[in-house]
Amino acid sequence: MEEMNMIRQGLYLQGFSVYEADTSYIHNILCTMNQAQASFTAFPHLNQEVPITIVDKALMRDE
Amino acid sequence: MSELAFLTATELAPLIQSRQLSPVELTNDMLNRIDSMDPSLRTYITPLHDLARHHAKKAEADIISGAYKGPLHGIPIGIKDNYYTKGIRTSVGSKLFANFIPDKTATTVEKLLGAGTIMLGKQNLHELAAGSTRTNPFFGTTRNPWNTQYMPGGSSSGGTASLAAGLTTVATGSDTFGSIRLPAAMCGVYGLKTTYGLTSTHGIFPTAMSLDTAGPMARSVSDLALMLQCMAGFDVNDPVSLKAPIPNYTEHLNQGIKGLKIGIPSYYLEGLDPDVEKLFQHAITTLQHLGADIKEMAIPELTLSTFSGYAIVTGEASNFHYEWLRTRPEEYSADNRAFFSAGTLTTTPQYVIAQQARRKMTEAFDKAFEDVDVLLGPTIPMTTPAFSENWVDQNLEVIRRCLPFTAPVNLTGTPGLAVPMGLDQRGLPVGMQFIGNHLSEKCLLQIGHVWERTEPLSIRA
Repeated sequence: MEEMNMIRQGLYLQGFSVYEADTSYIHNILCTMNQAQASFTAFPHLNQEVPITIVDKALMRDE
Repeated sequence: MSELAFLTATELAPLIQSRQLSPVELTNDMLNRIDSMDPSLRTYITPLHDLARHHAKKAEADIISGAYKGPLHGIPIGIKDNYYTKGIRTSVGSKLFANFIPDKTATTVEKLLGAGTIMLGKQNLHELAAGSTRTNPFFGTTRNPWNTQYMPGGSSSGGTASLAAGLTTVATGSDTFGSIRLPAAMCGVYGLKTTYGLTSTHGIFPTAMSLDTAGPMARSVSDLALMLQCMAGFDVNDPVSLKAPIPNYTEHLNQGIKGLKIGIPSYYLEGLDPDVEKLFQHAITTLQHLGADIKEMAIPELTLSTFSGYAIVTGEASNFHYEWLRTRPEEYSADNRAFFSAGTLTTTPQYVIAQQARRKMTEAFDKAFEDVDVLLGPTIPMTTPAFSENWVDQNLEVIRRCLPFTAPVNLTGTPGLAVPMGLDQRGLPVGMQFIGNHLSEKCLLQIGHVWERTEPLSIRA
């Protein structure tokens, strides 16, 4: 219940309309993500990796 | 001549070149089939009868005058409705863009039309190319031609369903977290998710920009090769376009797979529906008989893909749609409004670590490809579901089950070739995917061509 309220609040604070029927779907998606994030414990230094980013070759020199 | 409808481009091209078959006859045949079958299948959002007939007449005249352009000249094509077409409505399957008429054409469409293909129309898709079932409250739900009570998969299902029904010869798709491969599996056709940056995404409506790719879909691997030859290549208008040399994809497709080393990540053997497991085991045995050397291998980094896929797709999509979600939320279907809204509630560290995980996964794939030539797994772990009344819940559930199987290819930027591997007990197609290292499309097509000759759709679980 508290999590559902946090979802409503999170949407409201960003200026989104809160569709009551959507909140359980959003909750399910966030729960799936949280469960999946548990796999990260097997990779304790993941936060030291350089993130993959889109590199725009038109904006950088490569020589 | 409705049998024309199921010939491949590779089979049609010599007939067209030798003037045994007119592009006008072929186009009319397809358009008549669309008129009779598409009201129930809903594979096209905007059929383009007049334009198609005009281009077919022009192609016929050119060919008669000796100006044959090559094997795609006169071939009917369906264009996914997230590819921009100048002066022609591009709805992206969304109420938001129901009347959007672009002032430019996607680079890949320009190339395909330049090669002489005949655009039959703009094809249906899951709203905003961000869903897996193809239930669309705004433009009608595409149905699976194998059994219309069942979903065709998504998002590029207008293309795959029209291929399965003989309503086009080839089609374009886009793949951000499985949108070419998943519907290819459910409709029993072939689809290629390309190396990130190999095909231009200029003029394609974005879903999640760091993952979006454009690719071909067809009823044969040789047709995929023909299309890729045309679609691939550097595009100055696409900042992530690769300057890689483009090989001849259509040459040496008959190479064989004797001695080919195939790795099956144990990750891809978990959570399979019984029919998927049975057909996959059969496929392994068949590949071994063809001379492939197959072994199971552990790639633990694949477990990172579910979180990373969700965080990046919902994060980037919600970023792109942020203002519209705020001001026009009722113009989104409930599944995508929920999917994108979830992205507004994830944190910056979550998005960043998802991108860090991509590096780890890419390195793990690189290491795996030192040991094997390609990886293999079922395209998705499940058989095709029937449409459910609660389509919002169903779409999110299909994503939950299938994204872990399809997203690794997107997250690592590698190519994945989706091929049929048989029919389940209900007679619906089931698919598998060959995964190669970056820019290994030619190798994947050679393998897929060998596999296609085993006639996989004649196998039943």
